[in-house]
Amino acid sequence: MSNVPSDLKYAKSHEWVRVEGDVATVGISDHAQHELTDVVFVETPQAGREVKAGEACAVVESVKTASDVYSPVSGAVQEINGALSDNPALVNSDPYGAGWFYKIKLSNPAELEQLMTASEYSKQIGA
Amino acid sequence: MAKQIVEMEISAAKMELPDTKTVTFKWPEGYEQEFKTGQFITVYWPDTTNYKRAYSLSSCALDRGFYEVTVKRDGKMGTRIVDWAKVGDKMFVIPPVGRFLPVYEENKHLICIAGGSGVTPFRGFVREATRRGLKTRITILYSVKTTSDIIFNEEFRELEQQNPFFKFHVTCTRLGAADPWPGRRGRINAEWVKEHICDLPNTVFYACGPNELVDATEALVLEEMKVPKEQMKTEKWG
Repeated sequence: MSNVPSDLKYAKSHEWVRVEGDVATVGISDHAQHELTDVVFVETPQAGREVKAGEACAVVESVKTASDVYSPVSGAVQEINGALSDNPALVNSDPYGAGWFYKIKLSNPAELEQLMTASEYSKQIGA
Repeated sequence: MAKQIVEMEISAAKMELPDTKTVTFKWPEGYEQEFKTGQFITVYWPDTTNYKRAYSLSSCALDRGFYEVTVKRDGKMGTRIVDWAKVGDKMFVIPPVGRFLPVYEENKHLICIAGGSGVTPFRGFVREATRRGLKTRITILYSVKTTSDIIFNEEFRELEQQNPFFKFHVTCTRLGAADPWPGRRGRINAEWVKEHICDLPNTVFYACGPNELVDATEALVLEEMKVPKEQMKTEKWG
């Protein structure tokens, strides 16, 4: 059974968002990491890059496949999780904590309303 | 017995499509490994030992002395292999494992549903059946974006000529209206699959490809067509 924390928002493409003030932390869900299997490489966006909601801005590669990660929200990337370059398996072991991908300064907080709640996302993945 | 990880030399590298390459790993002297058609190997470069990728074998268990995998330019590993791997390079290979295995029984019909590079293990299925002269029926239903994305097109057409029990069907999902392709267009659906079933209780369904395709095929076969779960095998991203 996948873990879907209730305090996060979710995109259909399996990214999660944790909002603190005007900054959002982005990662991929427990369900996504489970589907990918063992993550072996993560390519995060450059700090400072402006991304739009729905734009492919990171790549997560597992032992079986490589997938784009789509930004759930628009804004400027403030910080990336450098720990993933040495230990991409953090995405598997702690997808909502140490396995976060990047932090982004929101340029359009209203976009958060378009994202799913935990219960809506749970329904999508059949959890 | 523990699996032996062995460094193998690339003895051939062939571009199948502009973004897809078949790489042949030559077994070193003294290497002997029992394995089955449909299994996958895991490979990594000597300079990045913690970065591994698994690929389905596109060769079959009758092929001794080498393993072949067919890799799409996808991610860091896929890009390095497709753009840079050449004859003489060496990679570490973890021996084949996996349970995506063909059921070679005379009265069985294997319907193999593939998307993109998910077709690669089915080359092994058909290759072994053809070489052994088996009467197991194999039908590949292959979904690609355009005709330029069909991997092993010529080889499958030749195998159709050699093996009267094998059929290869392609559907294109993103062809322009003006394209002269005379074949099927659109996604794989229940109607198309049903067209190829002649004896449902003796049919085994295989699905290999992107997660979305495999999930959709499972829903189609197990839920829509009410086929028992025992008659279906899946491999996400073969």
